[in-house]
Amino acid sequence: MLNITRRRGERVVLGDDVFISVLEVSGQTVRLGIDAPRSVRVYREEIWLEVKKENEAASLAANATLPADVPAPLQSDAGAEVTRSVPVNRAPAPPES
Amino acid sequence: MTTLAIESSRFGHVEIDPDTVIEFPDGLIGLGGTRYALLATEPGSPFVWLHCIDDPTLSLPVTDPSRFFAGYKVDLTDEDGERLALDDATPVDVYVTVVARSDLADFTANQKAPILIWNGQGHQVINQAPGCDLRAPLFAEVTDAAAPEPGDAGATDGV
Repeated sequence: MLNITRRRGERVVLGDDVFISVLEVSGQTVRLGIDAPRSVRVYREEIWLEVKKENEAASLAANATLPADVPAPLQSDAGAEVTRSVPVNRAPAPPES
Repeated sequence: MTTLAIESSRFGHVEIDPDTVIEFPDGLIGLGGTRYALLATEPGSPFVWLHCIDDPTLSLPVTDPSRFFAGYKVDLTDEDGERLALDDATPVDVYVTVVARSDLADFTANQKAPILIWNGQGHQVINQAPGCDLRAPLFAEVTDAAAPEPGDAGATDGV
C-alpha cells in the first residue's frame, strides 16, 4: 500500500480527476473532502462492505424456498405485479449558472 | 424475435427478450455485472429474480418493498441525485434485494441499498432515509400471527 503524509489543506490526486483533500484533523478523526466526477461512486467503506455482503448473501441463498419454476421474462402487462410507486426523493437540480 | 439465451446455473436455459435487458453501468455494489434482466418464476409471486446476463451464475431475488414495508421511501444524496439525473416525471421502479433462508421468518430484505430501475437502466443506491435496515425481516407480522400452531397445547398463555 502506498503511504503518503499530508497536512491539513493538502491534497492527493487519483488519476487526473479525483482530488482528496485533508480538511481537518482532530484527535483520531480526519475529515476528507472528495472532489470527483459524478460517475465516481464514493462510499464509506463499512457501508460498501455491508451492502456487498448482503448482495452476496442474496445471490448465494438456496432457491428451494422460492418458487423455482423455469422463469419467464417479466412481461410488460404483468409489470403491475412489480411496478410500484415507492417515492424516490431526487436531490434538487444543481443551481443554474 | 431474436432472444438472448443464457445458461443460468440456477434456472438452466433461459431466453431473454433483448428489450427487457437492464443496463447497470456501475453493476451491483461489490458484485459487478453490467447487464441484468428481471425473471419472474411464478405469476403473482412477490419475488422476481434479478439475473445477470454476463455471468450466468449470478442472480438475486428482489421484491417490491412497498409490498412489505408501509411508507418505505428512498432518499438520495445530492451527489447520487446529480449522478443519476432522474427527473420527477420519470417513473422509477424500486426493488430491494432479498436473502432467502429455509424459514420464512428468517427472510430479510435490504432497505439500505435499493435498486432503482427506469428507462432500461438500473442503479443500486445507498438510501439516506432514516430507519432503513440492512436486514429487515420480510415476514415478521406473518410469522407472529401464525405462531401458535393449531392443536399446539402449549400455546395457552393468557398474555
